[in-house]
Amino acid sequence: MDANASARLKRRAGVVAHRVGLFLAMLLICLPGIWIVLSSLRPTVEILAKPPVWIPQQVSLDAYIAMFSGVGKGGIPVLDYFRNSLIISVTSTVIAIAIGMAGGYAFARYRFRGKSAMFLGLMLTRTVPGIALSLPLFFVYARLDIIDTHFGLILAYVALNVPFTIWLIDGFFRQVPKDLAEAAQIDGCTRWQAFWQVEFPLAGPGIASAGIFAFLTSWNEFALASQLTRSINSKTLPVGLLDYTAEFTIDWRGMCALAVVMIIPALVLTFIVQKHLVGGLTSGAVKG
Amino acid sequence: MTAKRLSAPTLLLLPAVLVLAAVVVVPLCLSFYSSFTPFRLTRPETFFTFIGLRNYRNILSDANFWWAFGRTVLLLTIALNLEMLLGLGLALLVEKASRGQRLLRTIMMFPMMFSPILVGFQFKFMFNDNIGLVNNALQSLGLTQDAIPWLIEGHLAFIAISIAEIWSSTSIFAILILAGLLAMPKEPVEAARVDGCTPWQTFRYVTWPFIMPFAYIAMTIRSLDVARAYDIVKIMTDGGPAGRTELLWTLVARTAYSDARMGVANAMAYFSILLSIIFTVYFFKKLAAARTQIGAEW
Amino acid sequence: MAIVSLKKLTKRYGNMEIVHGIDLDVADREFIALVGPSGCGKSTTLRMIAGLEDISAGTIEIGDRIVNDLPPRSRNISMVFQSYALYPHMTVRENLGFSLKIAGAPKEEMDRRVAEASAILGLDALLERRPSQLSGGQRQRVAMGRAIVRDPDVFLFDEPLSNLDAKLRTQMRTEIKKLHAKVKSTVMYVTHDQVEAMTLADRIVIMRDGNIEQVGTPDEVFQRPATRFVAGFIGSPPMNLQEATVDGGKIVFASGQSLPLPGRFKARVSAGDKVVFGLRPDDLYPAGHGLHSGDAADVHEIELPVTVTEPLGNETLVFAEFDRRDWVSRMLNPRPLKAGDRVAMHFDLSQAHLFSAETGKSLRR
Repeated sequence: MDANASARLKRRAGVVAHRVGLFLAMLLICLPGIWIVLSSLRPTVEILAKPPVWIPQQVSLDAYIAMFSGVGKGGIPVLDYFRNSLIISVTSTVIAIAIGMAGGYAFARYRFRGKSAMFLGLMLTRTVPGIALSLPLFFVYARLDIIDTHFGLILAYVALNVPFTIWLIDGFFRQVPKDLAEAAQIDGCTRWQAFWQVEFPLAGPGIASAGIFAFLTSWNEFALASQLTRSINSKTLPVGLLDYTAEFTIDWRGMCALAVVMIIPALVLTFIVQKHLVGGLTSGAVKG
Repeated sequence: MTAKRLSAPTLLLLPAVLVLAAVVVVPLCLSFYSSFTPFRLTRPETFFTFIGLRNYRNILSDANFWWAFGRTVLLLTIALNLEMLLGLGLALLVEKASRGQRLLRTIMMFPMMFSPILVGFQFKFMFNDNIGLVNNALQSLGLTQDAIPWLIEGHLAFIAISIAEIWSSTSIFAILILAGLLAMPKEPVEAARVDGCTPWQTFRYVTWPFIMPFAYIAMTIRSLDVARAYDIVKIMTDGGPAGRTELLWTLVARTAYSDARMGVANAMAYFSILLSIIFTVYFFKKLAAARTQIGAEW
Repeated sequence: MAIVSLKKLTKRYGNMEIVHGIDLDVADREFIALVGPSGCGKSTTLRMIAGLEDISAGTIEIGDRIVNDLPPRSRNISMVFQSYALYPHMTVRENLGFSLKIAGAPKEEMDRRVAEASAILGLDALLERRPSQLSGGQRQRVAMGRAIVRDPDVFLFDEPLSNLDAKLRTQMRTEIKKLHAKVKSTVMYVTHDQVEAMTLADRIVIMRDGNIEQVGTPDEVFQRPATRFVAGFIGSPPMNLQEATVDGGKIVFASGQSLPLPGRFKARVSAGDKVVFGLRPDDLYPAGHGLHSGDAADVHEIELPVTVTEPLGNETLVFAEFDRRDWVSRMLNPRPLKAGDRVAMHFDLSQAHLFSAETGKSLRR
């Protein structure tokens, strides 16, 4: 009886501890983001106030309006950067997905010699730190005269994304039973038709998430972009953000607003793919 | 025989191989060669002067390089271990939650969406000695009167960078480990509880072996991307103060672009590449072993 | 006329030979079952016929064409997979009509043939559903419907019932049989379940380790197994098989116990030959509880101790010890028996089998 009561007490305490722990963890995760959003909405005086003002007194969208009304504050052409980021990320993603689909299919459906070595080799090209890769690329691009062009950065990002895209798409194709493609072939499809009619629609959502992942990688990349871009011709948002910090008087509010602009597309896209992404990464870790 | 006889997988992998060869392998060969020259961007003719291993000898006897190298390894060790532990803890917390799982999982993924450059900026802002959230909070709570120079004092800056790095990457571990926990069959755990295991024993002998491959997948993915820390450091301290947070990658960038000494920078870059490759291959092996251990196909 | 003909069909993976040059002719409208333990090469053989596996050597003819290198779609076959392989992103109707759509058949013909197949299999109410909304038996029927719609030269079934529970399996077995009676097509049916093979097939092909052990009607393989393996594989409960030595007119077992050598084997063996003696549970029964209708002279009586009994209602399986081993006996019109009872057992030697211990081949004929 007594043992039961104390066990019950213990369990209650456990539940409370769990709630508190969960809440604190989530708070820590969200805090920086919330702080940025908040700061982007308040006037600079409030941000700089001593002692600190915790509860926003004035809230306005001035920073965003300033940013998008042509050349933003501090002479930073956010709109151009945004456009560059979008063009480069989307194009490189589409190409990377096309290449990754071919490669992922090869790994998922064929047996060939040196398969795992090949896979590891592809992954290893991804491990080369961006900054280490930027040295020879800078040199080569300078020779080819493609520094500060969309093409140059797109090419680099395709290479950056292909290995990981292959990994993900390989996982998604593995989840489509081989029987289905075989059944389609017996039903009169060529291998090519079987792929487009059966395997592709089924792996579709997964491939889309791989695409979004690739998009985010390009969207967020900095090390390569910072060396391979020079001007509003091709500078992307992450490099643009650095423009702000390079100044001596930092416009904190403006930066926070730019940060929010950068994060929103990423946020939306990640939210869409979260379920599939994990599936693709972990397929093959357990049977089934 | 002819091109017609190229097998299907070869054809399918060809585009990937071509792109990677063009953008990664060939340039790396080039940079490997140039690491044996005194190449300076400003003086192209130096590209063809062969000086053997002098660059490597120079950097190996350079204390700054070794400091940066050691600091990089230290940062990775601390960050990866803590990320793993925290990720595990977070995954267990979320898995135990009875309500709002979907929302919790989404919030958990939050830091993943942040570009490292944004993470750097965020924490630069929060750790600002004058107006940062951290100091403001500490002062408001009356814990200190001083403005703690987070990003200005060497050790504190290293800590601040580690925190930023851990914040941004813990979620990868948490998400994948959570996926493992959710995929795990319930019966073994229940059997262990009935068999008299304490919660800790149940975790240690039943749950952990099952989710280990998931943890290794996370490790592998992370190791592909360890150099992300460059972005964070670049924006938070840019290697400062006085080189006290200089990592291998920032050192490479500085040597190559500020000092324009490409040859030496390339030699250093090879150390950083080697470091990444060692990490990745190591975890890949672990991953393969863990997979065979639970009898999954590969 | 043979519609499917395998000649020296061989499959190798690297140095491993999985199928060792088998020959088989399947007649038009015949229901052939390929049966054998897992790993015997039956599924590989079927997949080679379907064109899903390359052929290492030999030839496959379907409808008088050599199809060795033809892709699956050009072989005019259809196949029902163990996993059903229904396309999860299509409705039942789309699944059924998929092959016609690929072939570019006109809409009316497609509708007509889907309707036909759906009527035969009773799928009308399910046409707009997706595979995930169907039960196991329904999925099974859709898979068969998809095969029917193609109107192929040959139907290939790869263990189609093994994903169903026991009760449903029996039910679907009957449906397949009815379906075959209705559609009248050539079927090659792979299974590891000898009961399925016996009940469904016109002829059974028993495979083992990549070789064909025997081809014959269910009666033939049951009554006259060509090898010791077939004898043990076909029939449930399995035939009692025990090694022994021929000694004059007797078969002597290791324990010293013996049985008379049936007359029809006398010319086939000589003293000292090592043999395997086989007797089905139906031909070994407690006195007065058997099916025996033959010559009483062939019945040999021995009193044996009962070790276990398994009552099944209309009959009881009695395990009795002979030559230090439990022999299964089928007791009809059962009476209560318990372990330890000594019972007079009748060995109906007119039904006994004898195999060479060395080659495993039957010594009959």
